[in-house]
Amino acid sequence: MPQVKIPPPYRGPTGGRATVHVDGPTVGDCLAALAESHPGLGELLQEPGGALHRFVTVFVNGDEVERSALDTRVGASDELEILTALAGG
Amino acid sequence: MGGPTGDRLIRVDMTTQTATTEAFPEEWKLLGGRALSARILLEECDPTCDPLGPDNVLVMAPGVISGTAAPTSGRISIGGKSPLTGGIKEANAGGNPGQDLMKLGYRAVIVKGQPQDSEKRYALDVTDSGVEVVDASAHKGKWNYALIDDLAKTYSQTTSFISIGPAGEMMLTGASVACTDQEKERHPARHAARGGLGAVMGSKGLKYVAIDPGKARVRQPAERKEFAQLCKKYTKDYLAGPQMFKTGTSTVVPVANMLNTFPYKNRVEGQSPDAETLDGKNIIASFEERGGGMHNCMTGCVVSCSNVVHDKEGNYKTSALEFETITMLGSNCGIASWEDVADLDRLCDEVGLDTIETGAAIAVYMDSGEMEFGDAEGAKRILHEIAEGTELGKTIGNGAAAIGRKRKHHRVPVVKGQAIPAWDPRPLKATGITYLTSPMGADHTAGLIVNPGLPQDEWVRASQESQLVNAACDSSGFCQFLQPTLDDIRTFYGLLYGEEVTRETIADLAWQCLADEWEFNRRAGFTEKDDVMPECMMKDPIGPAKVVWDVPKELAAQAYIRLEAREELFTAKATG
Repeated sequence: MPQVKIPPPYRGPTGGRATVHVDGPTVGDCLAALAESHPGLGELLQEPGGALHRFVTVFVNGDEVERSALDTRVGASDELEILTALAGG
Repeated sequence: MGGPTGDRLIRVDMTTQTATTEAFPEEWKLLGGRALSARILLEECDPTCDPLGPDNVLVMAPGVISGTAAPTSGRISIGGKSPLTGGIKEANAGGNPGQDLMKLGYRAVIVKGQPQDSEKRYALDVTDSGVEVVDASAHKGKWNYALIDDLAKTYSQTTSFISIGPAGEMMLTGASVACTDQEKERHPARHAARGGLGAVMGSKGLKYVAIDPGKARVRQPAERKEFAQLCKKYTKDYLAGPQMFKTGTSTVVPVANMLNTFPYKNRVEGQSPDAETLDGKNIIASFEERGGGMHNCMTGCVVSCSNVVHDKEGNYKTSALEFETITMLGSNCGIASWEDVADLDRLCDEVGLDTIETGAAIAVYMDSGEMEFGDAEGAKRILHEIAEGTELGKTIGNGAAAIGRKRKHHRVPVVKGQAIPAWDPRPLKATGITYLTSPMGADHTAGLIVNPGLPQDEWVRASQESQLVNAACDSSGFCQFLQPTLDDIRTFYGLLYGEEVTRETIADLAWQCLADEWEFNRRAGFTEKDDVMPECMMKDPIGPAKVVWDVPKELAAQAYIRLEAREELFTAKATG
């Protein structure tokens, strides 16, 4: 199953876990699985219509996934990383 | 050995209005910014002194890397005994004064004494031909923007300025120190805001510092080729990355709101119904019609997190409108329009006030029943009253605790007398531990950890590591938004001076900075009894989980005990 790295601000719903494994053939499916298995995480990642929030960026094996390309295929050994900007003075 | 040589300190005696220079101690070469300020204050300032009296010492210290070609590295620390907290304080700012001082080889400006005549104003001129205190009484009472406009007529285009507004001159404990940005107009929009250091500058009769580097070159490192290569690679890697701050901090609003750290109405809620209208995306959207946009506040910055906000007519209004300001002067006061907050931000920059402290103070005033939440025009009137020095204005200009005492109000969110920033300690426990144990009081830039899911057994380590990384960052001159790691900082230091700076050394430098500051506070009379959250944080629950501050003080106090360094300490990014 693909591994997903969770950014620190979003680790409330994961109980503090920095990485979780989810099953899904595409990036979008993985995010949906992530949301289902970790209540509260979905709304932090996606708008009600399913689009990624503008402050969320997803990478697969270090490459940024286009916002319109959540149907990008992922394999069992791939690593997804979620980033969100959260700091501010 | 190698690198910059011949560095000097500027000493200013405001009792005699004289300035001299002396050699910068060689053994301090890896001390800059916050760490240098802490060392000077510990050695030269009586911690029991009246912070607004002649014995307090005001330090202006650029970071170690400032003035070099390293990206986003020109920040300057302002330090002194805080009239707000009664302890040591460092607040830092961007703009160009830091790197201009360093290009001239000045590692710090140390200001002591006080003029006999408190009605007079003075300035410090720093050029490549020397330093001089000059009369500036003609500028008495000027707001920051008008002051810089006037100074621009007489000083060269290459001059940058550090100044105070009326709040600093009135020695109000919410007063900030302004630094001009790198734009042609030199807006006094970058503020070392927290802790009331503007009041310390005002107490010394020092209205402004003018630094003209002339044709001085950037500082030359010992390992020039390798340093240049590192700068190039660091910049390239940053620009190839996600650039999380490319739209500024104001666009953080919706996430902070979802995480219940977007305080509403004097922090009675963690979320605001006005998150949509306060969201920085509206500012970004305004650029197309009005102009403005994202820019870099200092020469050589690659982050460009600072927004330039224009009004509806397309004229410059303010910069930068940050998340903290939007929260504390907006949501926390029940003010729903980002445009109103932009007006308030400009007024704070003009008068010379910390937007966090002032927003918190106005919210306490509103909460006490004297003004309706959401009254933006009323808030603007208060800022004018601060500039005019009315009784109400001065009380609010002295911060949240002052107006809380005056109104005998029960809900006053401060730690050690300083307002709690937007980032809320109730959902963010490790950040709360920083607020309690940092020498700086409630200051998110001292160690921010936005991780609401962090297990309890990691809170103390997370706070301590963040405090160390941020202390090192604020001593280097790098901006926290570049997010350098301790490994990054020590690599730059090593190439600057041509000698290895080990992990042990950089960790020791960071720890020593905190230790110096804690020692200053101990001598000033602080004890563990001062490490307390205000009652409202423990009694007012927020969010669906109804979280309150419930961290045992004994647990928080463990942040004072140095933990053994682990790999993550050196690879964690500064975050503020």
